Amino acid sequence: MSLQYGQVLHYLPDFLLGAGMALWIAALAFAGGLLIGLVGAAVLTQGPLWLRLPVLGYVRFFTYTPQLVQIFFLFFALPEFGLILSPITAVLIGMTLNAGAYLTEIERAGFASVPQAELDAAETLGFSRAQTVWYVIAPHVVRTLYPSLSNHYIIMTLGTSMAAIFGVEELTGRALNANAISFRSVEIFSITAGLYIVLTIIASVLLWLVGRWLFRVKAKVF
Amino acid sequence: MSAWQILANEAPRFFTWWNMFFLGQALLNTLIASVIGCALGYALGFLLATLRLPQVMPLAPMRTAAILWVETFRRIPFLVLLLLVFFLGQALRLEAPLWAVAITAVAIRMSALAAENVRAGYDSVRPQQWEAALTMNLPALTALRRVVLPQSWRVILPPSIVHVLSMVKETSLVSQIGFIEITFAAKMLTQRGFSAMITYGTALMLYFCVSWALASLARAAERRLTARPALTIPTP
Repeated sequence: MSLQYGQVLHYLPDFLLGAGMALWIAALAFAGGLLIGLVGAAVLTQGPLWLRLPVLGYVRFFTYTPQLVQIFFLFFALPEFGLILSPITAVLIGMTLNAGAYLTEIERAGFASVPQAELDAAETLGFSRAQTVWYVIAPHVVRTLYPSLSNHYIIMTLGTSMAAIFGVEELTGRALNANAISFRSVEIFSITAGLYIVLTIIASVLLWLVGRWLFRVKAKVF
Repeated sequence: MSAWQILANEAPRFFTWWNMFFLGQALLNTLIASVIGCALGYALGFLLATLRLPQVMPLAPMRTAAILWVETFRRIPFLVLLLLVFFLGQALRLEAPLWAVAITAVAIRMSALAAENVRAGYDSVRPQQWEAALTMNLPALTALRRVVLPQSWRVILPPSIVHVLSMVKETSLVSQIGFIEITFAAKMLTQRGFSAMITYGTALMLYFCVSWALASLARAAERRLTARPALTIPTP
């Protein structure tokens, strides 16, 4: 086996664009998932039973089945009912729903960390349910759950690689294309792997800065 | 067509004995890849986590190498890792069968996750236990095996079952190299003309059942292991 990295280096700018796209997909799906998770966790801890059961079903279903098969279902089964999704839409919807389920589980644990006195104070001040969630519970959730949330963001950044299977040209998709053209498989996929390592380290540092400045979280980067 | 019409039309043709036998074999392949891969990965993970202990490994470069291995493979997507193992096997002309590629990829990915998990277990044991064992002149490995490990199972075991669960889900990506596990079987059945709703719906149900069983096991393990008073050491 001889490695010829010189022959594939000209793909690097293309790959970097793909890496940027992977970060965007992960960020969009994470933001959507965070909102779903906040609503889901609020329902699970405070909502009535008839709302709790469907939310619990949603969480169980999406956390117990692979994200890939969920997106396969969206992409291949929905056209049978006349709903045709483009690859990127299917991937974004699938990843958002999947992230929503995991973040519901994570955020529910954070809800337990809110001191009862603050909830009582909110009630005394006449806050509505929604106001309590937004002004009292959410800041606590962000601070105590910072490590698990940033960890999940990293997992989602890695998860964007499965968008390649549906033909989305993010980092792995571009690597597959370059592989089909040049047949330098080992070189291309080792470069891709290296880029993912760099990408997730950059994401870790950015998350650390965001946590530090916006929420004054004192956490380690690694 | 509505979902019920598709189901009514295709269910009698789909749920035949042969199709179920085919899916059963695929389920077995999924379980083989994830369980054997996880077992190998955990063996490697124990080794890596132990190499990171300064009590056991006095050589700093070895400790750094163990950390680098973990940090590297934690940050590579499973799909890319799988393709890398697959193409590396081809480039080295190993002629490895697909199940071997799948198990190797799962084991490498798992070793990184397992090492973090085992390290958390080791860290949960108070340092005084190490100091006492080493002061009594126990060799480091004996101290690890007889003193530290029995106390850290409580922390290691429940997440490790959850890790097997997540690997069962990750192995759906192995369909991309053509290993016939549940996802690839669903794909093949779709290509034979069955409705994607039924094939992928069945695949989702199979994954759900396996995951549900594993999650129940993890919850039971957690309840049993954390309820035992002998293991909860009061902090000073």
